[in-house]
Amino acid sequence: MLRYIAIRTVWIFIVLVSFLSILFITIRLVPEYPPTEEDAKAIYYARQVNDGYMTSYVEDDPAVVASIIDNTYERCSGCAYLQNGDIFRVYVPVPIIQQYTAWLTNIVTEWDWGVSTRISVNTPVYDIFKSRLPVTIRINFLSLLVFMPVGFILGIIAALKKNKLTDNVISLGVMIFISVPNFVVMLFMVMIFGYSLGWLPTQFPAPDVTGMVRYTSLVLPVLGLSFGAIAGLTRLTRAELTEVLTSDFLLLARTKGLTRKQAVIRHALRNSMVPLVPSIIFAFVTLLSGSVIIERIYSIPGMGRVYLDALTPQNFDYNLILALSAFYTFISLFAVLLVDMSYGIVDPRIRMGARK
Amino acid sequence: MADKEKFDNLGPENFEFVQRDEKIYDKRFETKPIGYFKDAMIRFRKNRTNVVATMILLFLILMGIFVPIVTTKNYEELEIQLQNLPPRVPILENLGFMDGTQHLTEQTADINAYDPELGLYYPQGYNPDLIVEGSLENNEIFCTDNNETCVGGQVVVGLSKDHSSLTFSRDGIITFDETQNPQITVEIFEIISDDPNAVLNVNILYNFGSSTATLGEITEAGTYTYDLFEIIDEPSPLYGQISFELLASQQSNTSVSFTNVQVTDDSAESPLVDDTGLAIRAYKLGVANTGTIKRSQGIMVQTSFDYKIYEEVFGDKHVPVFSANDFDQIMIDNADVCTLPEDMDNIIGWEFEEGCPIVRVNGRTEPTEGPDGNFYFSYDLVLDYAIYRGYEEIPYFFFGTNGGGKDFFALVWLGLRTSLFIGLIVALINISIGIVYGAIEGYYGGTVDLLMERFGEIVGRIPFLVWLGLFVIWLGPGLLTLVVLLTVTGWLGVASTTRTQFYRYKGREYVLASRTMGAKDSRLIFRHILPNGIGTIITASVLMIPGVIFAESTISYLGFGIGHGQAFKLFGLFELSGVSIGVLLADGRTALVQRPYLTAFPALIISILMITFNMFGNALRDAFNPSLRGSE
Repeated sequence: MLRYIAIRTVWIFIVLVSFLSILFITIRLVPEYPPTEEDAKAIYYARQVNDGYMTSYVEDDPAVVASIIDNTYERCSGCAYLQNGDIFRVYVPVPIIQQYTAWLTNIVTEWDWGVSTRISVNTPVYDIFKSRLPVTIRINFLSLLVFMPVGFILGIIAALKKNKLTDNVISLGVMIFISVPNFVVMLFMVMIFGYSLGWLPTQFPAPDVTGMVRYTSLVLPVLGLSFGAIAGLTRLTRAELTEVLTSDFLLLARTKGLTRKQAVIRHALRNSMVPLVPSIIFAFVTLLSGSVIIERIYSIPGMGRVYLDALTPQNFDYNLILALSAFYTFISLFAVLLVDMSYGIVDPRIRMGARK
Repeated sequence: MADKEKFDNLGPENFEFVQRDEKIYDKRFETKPIGYFKDAMIRFRKNRTNVVATMILLFLILMGIFVPIVTTKNYEELEIQLQNLPPRVPILENLGFMDGTQHLTEQTADINAYDPELGLYYPQGYNPDLIVEGSLENNEIFCTDNNETCVGGQVVVGLSKDHSSLTFSRDGIITFDETQNPQITVEIFEIISDDPNAVLNVNILYNFGSSTATLGEITEAGTYTYDLFEIIDEPSPLYGQISFELLASQQSNTSVSFTNVQVTDDSAESPLVDDTGLAIRAYKLGVANTGTIKRSQGIMVQTSFDYKIYEEVFGDKHVPVFSANDFDQIMIDNADVCTLPEDMDNIIGWEFEEGCPIVRVNGRTEPTEGPDGNFYFSYDLVLDYAIYRGYEEIPYFFFGTNGGGKDFFALVWLGLRTSLFIGLIVALINISIGIVYGAIEGYYGGTVDLLMERFGEIVGRIPFLVWLGLFVIWLGPGLLTLVVLLTVTGWLGVASTTRTQFYRYKGREYVLASRTMGAKDSRLIFRHILPNGIGTIITASVLMIPGVIFAESTISYLGFGIGHGQAFKLFGLFELSGVSIGVLLADGRTALVQRPYLTAFPALIISILMITFNMFGNALRDAFNPSLRGSE
C-alpha cells in the first residue's frame, strides 16, 4: 500500500511539473503587456531581470543612442529600450529554457512564485494566495458540511420510499437542480432573498465587518454551491441504495430475522458507501471550481475571483495565473490519489495496487 | 387499473385455440413486427412525464428557430429611445401584471407641481398624466444637498481647528427703515464647542462694509430677536448687511447650527428676509476662509409611482433637429397618408393627418451650404413615435427591451438558438473525436489502450479553470476559445463509452468470421463493431448537448466566450449571432435590482431547456437501453 501511494505521489508530481512546464512555456510565448507609465515600466523590467527572465545592459555609444532615438536602429524582438538621459537601458529576454530554469529554481529553492504584475502590483503571488485562500476554503468546507448530510438523507429517503410520492418529489428536485446551472440558481437566490425579501446581504461584506452579517453573508454562497452537489449526491445515493436493497444478501439478512431498519442500517448503507466516498472527494474539487462563478456573482474576495481578475484579457497577471493553476491542478490530482486510497479503506476487499 | 381487474378472473370461456386445424409456419404475420426502434419508441412513450418534457423541449427549439425570423420587432439595431422598457403582455396586462408600467421610486418631487386634491407632489421630469392613478406616493427623507429640492433643516457652520475666528455674511444689502421698526431674528438650533467661552456675534455691516456694529452675542441655542435701531444709533435708512462672527479658542471643535435668519418690519406681512437651510448655506465665508458651511437634516420630498412608460416612449415626441433627408424619405414612404402643403414655404406650423409619422412641423433652419455645394437644413418637428418606428399602435414587448432598446423576447430566443447551435456543433465534434479515439483504444487494446487511457486521464484531471486560463491567454476570449474549451475534455466521455462498446463486441463470432475472411481493421471497426455499439454511444451523447449548453452559458457569463456585436460564419453555412443566454445573463447582472426581468427571463428559459433536455436524454437512454434505467 505504501509503495502504491509513493508511486502515485511521484506520478502526481510528474504530471503536475510537466503540465506546469507546458503552461509556463506557452504563457511566456504570448506577448506581454508591460505597464505604460515610465516609472512602473522601469520597475517591471527590473523585476524581470531579478526573476531571471531578462538581462539588461547599458547602451551608451552615442551613435547607437542617436539611431535608437530616430528609429533607424534595428531593435531586437521582445527587447525593451528605456531612455535615461543620454543613455539607454536595454532589456533583452533570455531564451525560454533559461527562463524556465530560473522560474523553477526560484520556486524550488526559495518558494518564490514571483510577484503579481496587475492585481496587486509587486505583491508576492504567494501572499495573495495566502490572503485569498481562507474565505474560499471556508465557503467550500461549509458547503461540504451542508451538502453531505442533506444529500445522504434525501438519497436514503428516496431509495426507501422508491416510486412513492416522496421519491417522485425528491427526484423532480434532483432533476431541476442537476440541470439548472449553479450561477442561475445563485442569481435567483440573490434576487429573491437578497433584493426582494431583503433577508440576506446581496453581496459579501468587507472582511472587517462584525456582527450577524459575517454569518448571514455565508448563507447564499454556501447554498448556491450546495444545491448542485446535493442533487448529485442524492441521485447517486438513491441509485446505489436501490441496487443494494434488491440484492440477495439483504434478503438473507431479512430472513435471518433482522428488522428492516437493522438490515438497512447495518448491511445496505455500508455497502452503498463504496462509490459514495470517492464521489464526495470529487465533489469537493468540483466545488472548488464551481465557487469561481459564485465568488464572481457575490463579490467574494476569494481565490476564484482573483483568478478571473488575473485572466482579464490584455491585462494578464501571468505569475498569479501560474501559481493558481498549479494549486488547482495539484488539488485535482491529489483528489485522485485520495479517492484511490479511500477505496481500500471503505471496502477492505479492494486492495489498490495489489498484484494479480 | 381497469385492465388489471378485467384480467383477474379469467375462465376457460375466455380462451380459444387458434391453430387447431391448420399449419401456420409459412403464413405471413398479420401484425407488423416490432423492431428495435419501434420497441424503443413504445418504451419512450410509456413515460408520460418524459413525453411532456420532450414536447416542451421541441417547443423551445422551434421558438428558438422561428421567433428571430418572424418577429417584426427590432433586435439588431441600437434604439436608445426604446431602452429599458418593462415587459408588457397582452392578456396579463389586464391583471395588473407585466402591464408595461414601470415602478419608479426615490424620484425627486417637483416643488412647484403640487396637487392640492391628492395633497401630493408630482415628480420632476415625468408627465403627470401618465402616472397610474392612485399609485403616487410621497415620502420625506433627510438630505444635505445644496439645491432647491432640499428644504428646511439647519446649516452647520464649523470653525477650523487651527483658527480662532470665522466670519460669514449674507449676500445683498438690506434697507432698514427706522419708521418701520425693523427686527432681526436669528434662530440657533445648537452650539457645540469644547470651549465654554465660544461665542457667536451677530453683526451688521454698513457704510458699504466699512463700519461694523455688534447686535448681540449668542452662546447657547435659542431664538434671538434684535431691534436694530434700539441697539445702534445710526441715521435711518440704514443700508446694511447681516454678518456673523464665530469666536472660540484654537484647537477646539466648534460649530453652530442655524435654523433660520429673518428680517421683519411693519411694512409687510411677510418678512423682508427669510433665510432657512439652503439660503443660509449660500452665505459667504470671510476672505480668510477659516471654516466650513454644511447642510444638515434638510428635508426632501421623494415620490414613488407607477409610470406608463410605453405611452411616454411611443407618444408624440418633440425632435428639435430632424434631418431634411430623413424628412423627405418619410414623405416618400408615407405618400398616401402624409400630405405636404402646396407651397413649401407654409411648412412651418403645418399639421399632418392622423396616421402620418410626423404630427406637426414647428420650424425649419435656414439652409447652409455644405462643403460639397449642397444645401443642408433640418426640421424642428413633433413625431408620433409609434408610427415612426413602424408600429400601428403601441407595441407589446413581451420580455421588455434591454439597455440598447432591443426586443428582449426576440433576443432570448436568438440566444437560445445560438446556445443550441454551439451545443450541437460541439457535441458533434466531441462525438467524432471520442468515437475515433475510443475505437482505436478499444479495438487495438494492450499498450496502445494503456497509453491512450493515461493520456485521457491526464487531460481529464486538469481542472476546467486551468484549461480556461490557458486558452484565454492563448486565443483570447471568443468563439474559438469557447469551442476549444468545450471540446478539450468533452470527448473523454464518448471515448470511454465507445471503448467499452468495442471491448464488448470485438470478440464476437461475427467479427472473428469477418477477420478470417481477410477483412481489414478499418472494415472491422466501421462496418462490424461500430454499428452495433452506436445506439448506446449516441444516446449517451445526447446527454452531452445540455452539458455543453451549461458550460457555454457559464463561460460566456464569465465573459470569456462570445459577446455582443460578434457574428460568426460556421463552415460558411450558418451564421451565429454573438448573443447567447450566457451573454444575456451577463448583461442583466448590472441591473439585477432595477430590471430583474433582464435576468429572470433568460434564466428561466435556460432552466427549462436544461431540465427538459436532460429528461429527454434520460428517456431516450432508458428507451434504448432498458437495462440502464434508474442508474444516474
